[in-house]
Amino acid sequence: MQHLAKSYGPKRAVVDVSFEVERGEVFALLGPNGAGKTTTIEILEGFRPRDAGQVETLGVDPASPRTQRWLRSRIGVVLQELAVEPFYSVRQVLTRNAGFYPSPRPVGEVIELVGLSDKADARVKTLSGGQQRRLDVGLGIVGHPELLFLDEPTTGLDPSGRRDSWKLIRTLAAEGTTVLLTTHYMDEVEALADRVAVLSDARIVASGTPSSLGGRDSGAVTIRFGLPHGIAPAELPLPAEPATDGMVEIHTEEELRVLHTLTGWALEQGVMLHGLSVLRVTLEDVYLKLTRGEP
Amino acid sequence: MSTVPATGVFDGRRDIRLVGRQVHYEQLSFWLNPVGAVFTVGFSVVFLVLLGASAGSSRISFYRNIKLIQYYVPGFVAYGVMAACFNILAITLVNRREMGLLKRLRLSPLPTWVLLVAILVSTMIIAVVQVVLLLAVGRIGFGVHLPANLVAFIVAVVVGMLSFSALGVAMSTVVPNQDAAGPVVSIVFFVLLFLSGLWFPLRPGSGLSQFSAYFPVHHFIAAVFAPFSTERGVSPWAWNDLLVVAVWGVAGAIVAVRRWQWSPRRG
Repeated sequence: MQHLAKSYGPKRAVVDVSFEVERGEVFALLGPNGAGKTTTIEILEGFRPRDAGQVETLGVDPASPRTQRWLRSRIGVVLQELAVEPFYSVRQVLTRNAGFYPSPRPVGEVIELVGLSDKADARVKTLSGGQQRRLDVGLGIVGHPELLFLDEPTTGLDPSGRRDSWKLIRTLAAEGTTVLLTTHYMDEVEALADRVAVLSDARIVASGTPSSLGGRDSGAVTIRFGLPHGIAPAELPLPAEPATDGMVEIHTEEELRVLHTLTGWALEQGVMLHGLSVLRVTLEDVYLKLTRGEP
Repeated sequence: MSTVPATGVFDGRRDIRLVGRQVHYEQLSFWLNPVGAVFTVGFSVVFLVLLGASAGSSRISFYRNIKLIQYYVPGFVAYGVMAACFNILAITLVNRREMGLLKRLRLSPLPTWVLLVAILVSTMIIAVVQVVLLLAVGRIGFGVHLPANLVAFIVAVVVGMLSFSALGVAMSTVVPNQDAAGPVVSIVFFVLLFLSGLWFPLRPGSGLSQFSAYFPVHHFIAAVFAPFSTERGVSPWAWNDLLVVAVWGVAGAIVAVRRWQWSPRRG
């Protein structure tokens, strides 16, 4: 089954966003703050009405009141802001929320999954920020959702907390849970997402698998090096461009052949190519290029 | 499509059970904060005891010469209802909205009406606890008899609970943020209480009594006071006062429904 999602709004929040998420997939919406990520997922959750466009979540219109309760029993949501009642214990608040769902995950299992076993009976207000965040995720999955929305799940977590969250998301995905997450971390996308859409200024500017985004899989690399004094880039056997810092760059998709020609020439001529390096396009380069509107 | 959506917002007995369950958790949430709970409930009792003690055997000359304490007990019963339904409810709702708790519940399959009914029922339980405590303190501590007409008393308390709950919800929609909740709600509440004759009975025809006639607090105190009367020819039913309280309640409900918001406002 496919989750078709589309929304066209006259508001600047989301202008023209279209994407599909396959069942069992981890899909990332990547974009800077204010790009419209949260608005987009709030429309998908049925929390916010849309102005135009067609949206389907788990095969139903999320804005339809007729199916809203059905839909909400099958999705899980982890909001950006922590939202847990301070006076309940971890177990109490999870048990309460489990009661909302027709076939919840056992509370003990949830506590273990999010790694709060030794805090199960502690009051929520005594938990650290990272622990509260994990409880938040626990509340998102206690209903055994088919589709889980994670709005910036690791913002504010320390590195080990992030690793734990990633592990949990992978576990859920392996069980068949569809995950739609928003993030502004590139490494998170690379670590988790099967596919990614980059949202910038209320529009999707690119989408695909993390490794193919922005032509990264085409193998294009930049070969950089410095030439000794008295040798001009024009003397090279290949077309090269001078970089702003005095180095020379060759952009190519044929890394091996170009390196072979270049180094062969250098050995023959007895020329030092100092600082020779091969640079690959990172997801970050692509992202910055896309979201800043650079060519 | 995996399964056909089971539609509808009402699911019979399951939802009724859900209301009961949710009321339990609402109560838990209130009493698990012992400082808050004791302070809230104890406040009215402490006030009644202090005022009752200082009143001694004073009488109200313009109120059929009854004992002051006989006025204070119904007054504080009214106060207890208003504190729970207006003050606590409004502050709780603002806090929950701004913390994102309302939004989170909105995104769960818990039906909205179950949540709201549970909150109202829970609020009323807190109000009833206060009413019972205050009546007991009045009876045991000061020898003030219980309401002579129990039906009229219960009707007055129920109308008050509903109306002030509606006003409490309306108030919560007006307060922009968490920091403002306590001060704003309390100032409105205590100023109205002061002007409406809770601490000292208003002399009929005085400027203050004319002013407070526009607001529901004074009328509610009067409606709770009437059923205590044992005198011949004095009606235990203060219909006009109840009507004013109810009209305010309906107005509050309209504002509440129109301005209700699930997301934090962060104003």
